[in-house]
Amino acid sequence: MQKKKKLPNHSPSFFPLTVTGTLTLLLPMDMDMDIPLPEELELLEANSHFYEEPYVYSPPSDPSPPQSPTLKNLEIDGSKRPRNSDAIESPPDENKRTKRIDIEEEEEEEEEEEDWLRYAPPEETKEEDWLRYAPPEETNVEVAVEKDEEVYLSRFMSAINGACMPVTAPSGGERVYAKISGAQRDEGLEKLNRKERSKGLLPEPVNVLLQRVEQQAFAKALEASSEHQIDITIPETTMVHEQLWVEKYAPSSFTELLSDEQTNREVLLWLKQWDSCVFGSEIRSTSDEVLSALRRHSSTEHRKSFDLDFSRKNRGHRWINGNNNHIDNVDHGTNNLKGMQDFLNKNSRLNGPPEQKILLLCGSPGLGKTTLAHVAAKHCGYRVVEVNASDDRSTSTIEAKILDVVQMNSVMADARPKCLVIDEIDGALGDGKGAVEVILKMVSAERKHDFGKENNAKKKGSKTASLTRPVICICNDLYAPALRPLRQIAKVHIFVQPTVSRVVSRLKYICNREGMETSSIALTALAEFTECDIRSCLNTLQFLHKKNETLNVMDISSQVVGRKDVSKSAFDIWREIFHKRRTKRDRKSNTGSGSSYGEFDFLHALISNRGDYDVILDGIHENILQLRYHDPVMHKTVKCLNSLGISDVMQQYVMRTQQMSLQVYQPSVAITLHRIVAQVQKPTLEWPKSFQRYRTMLMEKTDILKAWHQKIPPYISRHLSTKSCIEDLISPLLHILSPPNFRPVALHLLSETEKNNMTQLVNVMVSYSITYKNMKSDSLSINMGHEAVSDASALSFEPPIGEFIAYKDYRSDHHVLALAMKQVLLHEVEKQKILQVSNGKSAQRTDGRCNGDQGVVGKGASVAKSAKTIGENAGAGTKTFGNAKNISNTRQGNLSTSTVSLSLVSSRSATVEAKQISTSDVRKARSGFDFFERFRKPSSRGSLDSEIAVVKEVTLERDLRPLLFKFNEGFTNAVKRPVRMRDFLL
Amino acid sequence: MLWVDKYRPKTLAQVIVHEDIAQNLTKLVTEQDCPHLLFYGPSGSGKKTLIMALLRQIFGPSAEKVKVENRNWKIDAGSRTIDLELTTLASTNHVELSPSDVGFQDRYIVQEIIKEMAKNRPIDTKGKKGFKVLVLNEVDKLSREAQHSLRRTMEKYSASCRLILCCNSSSKVTEAIRSRCLNIRINAPSAEQIVKVLEFIGKKEGLQLPSGFAARIAEKSNRNLRRAILSFETCRVQQYPFTSNQAIPPMDWEEYISEIATDIMKEQSPKRLFQVRGKVYELLINCIPPEIVLKRLLHELLKKLDAELKHEVCHWAAYYEHRMRLGQKAIFHIEAFVAKFMSIYKAFLIATFG
Repeated sequence: MQKKKKLPNHSPSFFPLTVTGTLTLLLPMDMDMDIPLPEELELLEANSHFYEEPYVYSPPSDPSPPQSPTLKNLEIDGSKRPRNSDAIESPPDENKRTKRIDIEEEEEEEEEEEDWLRYAPPEETKEEDWLRYAPPEETNVEVAVEKDEEVYLSRFMSAINGACMPVTAPSGGERVYAKISGAQRDEGLEKLNRKERSKGLLPEPVNVLLQRVEQQAFAKALEASSEHQIDITIPETTMVHEQLWVEKYAPSSFTELLSDEQTNREVLLWLKQWDSCVFGSEIRSTSDEVLSALRRHSSTEHRKSFDLDFSRKNRGHRWINGNNNHIDNVDHGTNNLKGMQDFLNKNSRLNGPPEQKILLLCGSPGLGKTTLAHVAAKHCGYRVVEVNASDDRSTSTIEAKILDVVQMNSVMADARPKCLVIDEIDGALGDGKGAVEVILKMVSAERKHDFGKENNAKKKGSKTASLTRPVICICNDLYAPALRPLRQIAKVHIFVQPTVSRVVSRLKYICNREGMETSSIALTALAEFTECDIRSCLNTLQFLHKKNETLNVMDISSQVVGRKDVSKSAFDIWREIFHKRRTKRDRKSNTGSGSSYGEFDFLHALISNRGDYDVILDGIHENILQLRYHDPVMHKTVKCLNSLGISDVMQQYVMRTQQMSLQVYQPSVAITLHRIVAQVQKPTLEWPKSFQRYRTMLMEKTDILKAWHQKIPPYISRHLSTKSCIEDLISPLLHILSPPNFRPVALHLLSETEKNNMTQLVNVMVSYSITYKNMKSDSLSINMGHEAVSDASALSFEPPIGEFIAYKDYRSDHHVLALAMKQVLLHEVEKQKILQVSNGKSAQRTDGRCNGDQGVVGKGASVAKSAKTIGENAGAGTKTFGNAKNISNTRQGNLSTSTVSLSLVSSRSATVEAKQISTSDVRKARSGFDFFERFRKPSSRGSLDSEIAVVKEVTLERDLRPLLFKFNEGFTNAVKRPVRMRDFLL
Repeated sequence: MLWVDKYRPKTLAQVIVHEDIAQNLTKLVTEQDCPHLLFYGPSGSGKKTLIMALLRQIFGPSAEKVKVENRNWKIDAGSRTIDLELTTLASTNHVELSPSDVGFQDRYIVQEIIKEMAKNRPIDTKGKKGFKVLVLNEVDKLSREAQHSLRRTMEKYSASCRLILCCNSSSKVTEAIRSRCLNIRINAPSAEQIVKVLEFIGKKEGLQLPSGFAARIAEKSNRNLRRAILSFETCRVQQYPFTSNQAIPPMDWEEYISEIATDIMKEQSPKRLFQVRGKVYELLINCIPPEIVLKRLLHELLKKLDAELKHEVCHWAAYYEHRMRLGQKAIFHIEAFVAKFMSIYKAFLIATFG
């Protein structure tokens, strides 16, 4: 038999004395049981020594339930009451119940007579049981235990006959004495001890407690089902007047919620999806039915009345169903059990918690977000734990709190699983962030976990902080920066305003109950005025009620009562400014000046609440010309722009003199504009980007200009301000730099005048420190109407001076040089620069004046860099220009044979870069000497022994003369060798 | 290098355009000393050229050996220290800088640099020239505070340092400073003077100038000598054997503004105004100062306008430029001017043609 094989496996130490007649009764059930999954066995094995532990620490989603009930049943048969205390601590378990029913039924009557010791069963208001399938008490109810007359507990040792053990209750520290049963004593001491210990967790007999719980739950359920109807039909007549109406009439059940049905249902659906995870395995069938019903309902537009019917019907059904279940279970327990377990195994993973583990509710204040969260959670059998802005929300505290909620189950006070509601999560930025971080961490941990060890699911929650309880976050502003990460992982529900009629009917109902006389017109006006903020409506009404005033339409607009101080978004404000409201109210009083006055007030309040006039006016400026207003001779436009100008002048004055109080006059400018241009049709608005764009672009360009200006040598730049650069210089310079009559041919083919022109051009470019540069994006040449150059190697001016005249929709008639020409120019310019630098250096040395050392180093570096750029551009081979003065004649032949690519300037004050290169060259050259020896020997005068001396001489010589030499990397098929500088110099 | 730089007079004796001023300046510094000077005049009239020539006259060729320095100042302003960075040009005898580049903290620069110069007073063997010259560019852009702090230091350290101030408009320099300086107005060169310069350059370059060509360039240059010379060189590059009716390439931004003016004349509506706004933004982005945009726009519009409207339009241009200078966002005011013009012009059209 399976069972017998299994038993020794699991808990040999537990059950030696439990083999009684009832085993046979249980065996048929076990026969039908599936062989437990390997992981389940593992778990059981691991837990076999401390039986209580898995129930205290493991999450209820533990996949072991199928096995544990059998174990327990066996214990019961052994008539050891202490062991049964486990049943209370263990999470509600349907399977257990079904198997124990037979026992329970026999003993029910006797147990009722027992006196009750202190035990506080979990309080639960049952509104709609049809939706909840895991009420903890219910399961407890059915866990009944065989009564054993001989063993009982007492507070006094003297009351017990025979051996007893003191047991201290974990809650309240109450101490009782438990008699040790004779039967147990017979079996052996060490086992007894264990049993006694486990018994001690409860201060009173379990069967008594269970009995009591069952009765209470039943009574309450009955009460709840009848009470609900009473609640709706019969209004409460007596009330404490100190209580706020908002609290007094807060919806206590799901059906009373005023918020949008769809949202309500979605929230509920989401919460129900947690059931499999939170409550374990209960009544999937019902749940599925419920879920589908919910889905159906969240899509249909059916409302309250139907909803009520539906729930009532189902409630009744649920109870019948539940009873049926019992009977069924008794009758065909085996079948059911099997089905249940199949179901569990299949669904424990499939129907885990919902994909998005966080629910984010957002909406403006007073729409009932918090209420919905509370009601829905309560409805689904959760105990709500709320964290709001009044609590400490630093990361550490909130983490502790969330872990507490999510992973622990309270043992004594309220056994319902908890649901965390984080209210006002967008509130304080720094603190709210802490909460968001913790949640994110947990969710991501969970994700990783799921991906990593999907089949090893039972370890979940053992160490990593993962979310196993629903978390509902509530915020006002969905787009608060702190919420950005949360927004991506959470299921977001945006609250919309409830319909006015719904609010009004509710208000009316409350007013009736409070005995306040109102008209629905006034209430409608009030609701509209507060934008369906129920809280503020109720507060207003209560206030008026206290003052013994009645609400009328005139009151609302004239009274300060009910006024909400909201700051709207900039878009809303622009919309209000450009949009003329044409409501009945306005039109009615349009004859008098009343409406315009009201409008003024309204807009003024709106704009000054927002502040930020700069943005407001920018937005007006951005959008005003897009409006469609009738303006034949543009008088209106002129007026508008004048007003904007005034506001700008005012703004500038305020900022300069720091007289912020003058800002109060800014809204009136906007209101003037409203009076001029407001239209009935809705405007399409854009965020004012162009001014910001202008600012940033201007900064960029100014930077370019300044950088360029600084690069130009001082004898030119001192005569130019950056302003005159733009005004006078750039356009002619562009013409001059790209002459139209320039033939793109090799240099030696040019005529004398052309050569002259060329050198002059190069001169200009060098003196204005302009060069060409490779440009990837070819926007410039396209702008200039030069389509031919579209390949990647397009060259453009290095300080991008062409961009300064590249206006949008403007085609200048600047000629653009051919690419080949540009390359030649680039090459010449770089050469010229190098020559200048070397000239400058020799001049410097002879002068002995250190003229701007810094600048020289900078220039040298740039030369080295530009030398590399030449290498890239690989211009056509042209003969090298030598500075004849500086390069010894003997060497020049050598140098000119090698062609362009890499040029280096070596002199005493060579740049750091150059030095590095040359030193590395020297180092490399140590080994490879002989190749160039061939060149050297015929030409050099010295033999080997005189060589060293010569080298010394040469280095001295070299230091005296700056030198230009070029080395072409790509052109030789010969052996490449590292070469020393001095090899060239000899 | 460009002709502008190539043919720039190096000494006061070489000066062609403002000969009289050059002579006066020569006389002024014969004693190797001079008062504080304030040069003012429109751009491209030769202020800087004269100042450099003057420095050379005082200090000799060593005044031209300048080095560029990026200097940092650490200023202890009560509770905090302010770090400022500014590029200066300095020779042994003089320092040039544009304090307005550091914005509203220019005051500290002005104070610091003068004190510093007073401390390091150059010692001359002959006992003369015991002063340094400080050239301040763009004084009209200095903040009020800087100008106020300048006026005291000018007197206090006058023994060791001379100031040469240079600006476009003296109206933005406070009365106090103006009265402490010898004001020298450098007016824009007349067309004849420009022609003279161009012919001089042409001769030096060995170019054949057709008659009237130089005059045309001078006329186009808006009495700006720098621009005239640059245009001249551009023409030379574009097409050498000059023809008398050769096209003189216009400034691109001026061309663009004239396009805007054409747009405005074609249609007057908020929609068109919106397009104009985009174009004006383009100009402003490319560092064209808004005052110049407005001025040029007015110029272009006046060209195309009936005489009877000109006066009114000028009035409004002045009105909006005033506001623009008071305000912050130039685009608001330029646009307001365009709107006003459109309104006036449209009303005029309706009145004229029905």
